[in-house]
Amino acid sequence: MIKINSDAWDTMVGHAQSTFPEECCGVMVGTIDGAAKFVTTAIALENAYQGKQEDRYEIRPEDLLAADKNARAQGLDLIGIFHSHPDCDAYFSKTDLENSCPWYSFVVLSIKGGKFDHANSFLPNADQTVAEKEELIWPKS
Amino acid sequence: MAKILIPTPLRQFADKHDALEFQGTTVGEVLSSLAAQYPELGRQIFNDRGKLRSFVNVYLNDEDIRYLKKDATPVEGTDTLSIVPSIAGGSTSIAEPPVTTLSKDEILRYSRHLIMPEVGMEGQIKLKNAKVLLVGAGGLGAPLGLYLAAAGVGRIGVVDFDVVDFTNLQRQVIHGTKDVGRKKLDSARDSMRDINPNVQIDGYDVALSSENALEIISAYDMVVDGTDNFPTRYLVNDACVILKKPNVYGSIFRFEGQATVFAYPGGPCYRCLYPEPPPPGLVPSCAEGGVLGILPGIIGLVQATEAVKLILGVGESLVGRLMLYDALAMKFRELKLRRNPECPVCGDHPTITKLIDYQEFCGIPQHAPEPSFVEGDITPQEVKARLDRGEKFQFIDVREPHEYQICSIPGTRLIPLGELPKRLNELDPNIELVAHCKSGMRSAKAIELLKQSGFKKLRNMKGGILAWSDQVDPSVPKY
Repeated sequence: MIKINSDAWDTMVGHAQSTFPEECCGVMVGTIDGAAKFVTTAIALENAYQGKQEDRYEIRPEDLLAADKNARAQGLDLIGIFHSHPDCDAYFSKTDLENSCPWYSFVVLSIKGGKFDHANSFLPNADQTVAEKEELIWPKS
Repeated sequence: MAKILIPTPLRQFADKHDALEFQGTTVGEVLSSLAAQYPELGRQIFNDRGKLRSFVNVYLNDEDIRYLKKDATPVEGTDTLSIVPSIAGGSTSIAEPPVTTLSKDEILRYSRHLIMPEVGMEGQIKLKNAKVLLVGAGGLGAPLGLYLAAAGVGRIGVVDFDVVDFTNLQRQVIHGTKDVGRKKLDSARDSMRDINPNVQIDGYDVALSSENALEIISAYDMVVDGTDNFPTRYLVNDACVILKKPNVYGSIFRFEGQATVFAYPGGPCYRCLYPEPPPPGLVPSCAEGGVLGILPGIIGLVQATEAVKLILGVGESLVGRLMLYDALAMKFRELKLRRNPECPVCGDHPTITKLIDYQEFCGIPQHAPEPSFVEGDITPQEVKARLDRGEKFQFIDVREPHEYQICSIPGTRLIPLGELPKRLNELDPNIELVAHCKSGMRSAKAIELLKQSGFKKLRNMKGGILAWSDQVDPSVPKY
């Protein structure tokens, strides 16, 4: 289960809507209690993909490293990665799976016509062959 | 010697440490010491062949070791190593370049294909570049998976979220007795990899749905449908028509099977044959009606043959022909099928251009309500208690005689549901009557029928003989 608080959620949705029709990406930071994850902060990152970003994103490892260091300094954990699917459902695509990592929750936000539509969270396996869906709770406005 | 920062999710494998120090003069040595001391953590960052997993980047202080000397990058006591995954993605997939050669091992493996002019090197390379999606790793999926892998289809996707059950083994030959309780995907993957390690197998541990079907199917050249239910069959059909991918269709029931190729350009689709689904419950599934274990072998291999022919571009495909097979008569027949210009999905003016709610289309409630305890229901325990107390009531079993032979409850009288109307005279409407069947559905119909015939004290044994086995007498076999 991954629960996202309203501050973090606003950051994620805001970032995803402002980058529309391109994909956005970022990290989620918070605390972990067993299988329950609580996201308290979301940090928008630059989409580093070289090429058309309508259907691709890439996170610069340096940015991830910096985000991890920042989280550590605040006594928090880097819990997950978020990205958007513009005008597309929030599934975990083959491209997502093949460029994933099993250590984090992957939240996908579907943005349709520039507005948030729905979201899902996924847990990919180490072989990058399957991503299990994870229960995702966000503040409903 | 160097310090390694452990990413949050990996600390569980490192006694909760967020940083550890290890001996070594190079990055490679330090990481090996880490993996030696914490093998589970090692498996997270190294693959089976001892190489760093594709998503793992290692940073020495602030520099990626790929731009230094990789594994051989020297380290000192003051250095800090970070493990950073590379993360990317996107809503679409990019195509991989096709292969143009076969390895020496592959040439040997496929030699019986290569010496046939209809296949040859060219055909075998076509097979290797082919991407086929199997929907279902059950009765039809089993022979399909085995033979398509053996034939050298380069990439095979399998969609199945089910677990291997003892009742599957009578026909689903891709799974073995040892696999009971495992995910069908895992078991199928093991069997296919064992037969041909050259095949890439993509597992989709999901139910194919309107939300995921287009994305999953779009990565393949064709779909082979091995589903056992109408909503998924219509879903596969519509998705294939929308994506213009052939749908190699097969279906089985008892001793009879069908196969054809739908959604081939210019050819008919499943909706041209069956515009509307049958009412729910009218057509029994294999679980309800049974199936000869060998039958899916025949039909699945007809589908596999059609898939391979489409890939090779040889022979005469089943497009526009519905093949009917009758195992009892041992006869193959065929019906001509034509594309219906009025078809709502593949016709000249389609009205269905995106995926719909197939459960609703097939009249199946989205979330089947758990049958609640209704008046007139009686639990198996209660029936047993009343039998033990010597209470007098009529106890009838409305299953079929061949089911009664599998197992029965002592003290019951067998009156199959179909014979009930003409055997009412064997029953006393004034004495209480309890009816049971396999799981409670048919006995509920029997109770309804008896009620209309003037019987008053009627009880339906909830959950049938399966529940009796669970709750009262585990020696009664389940089927």
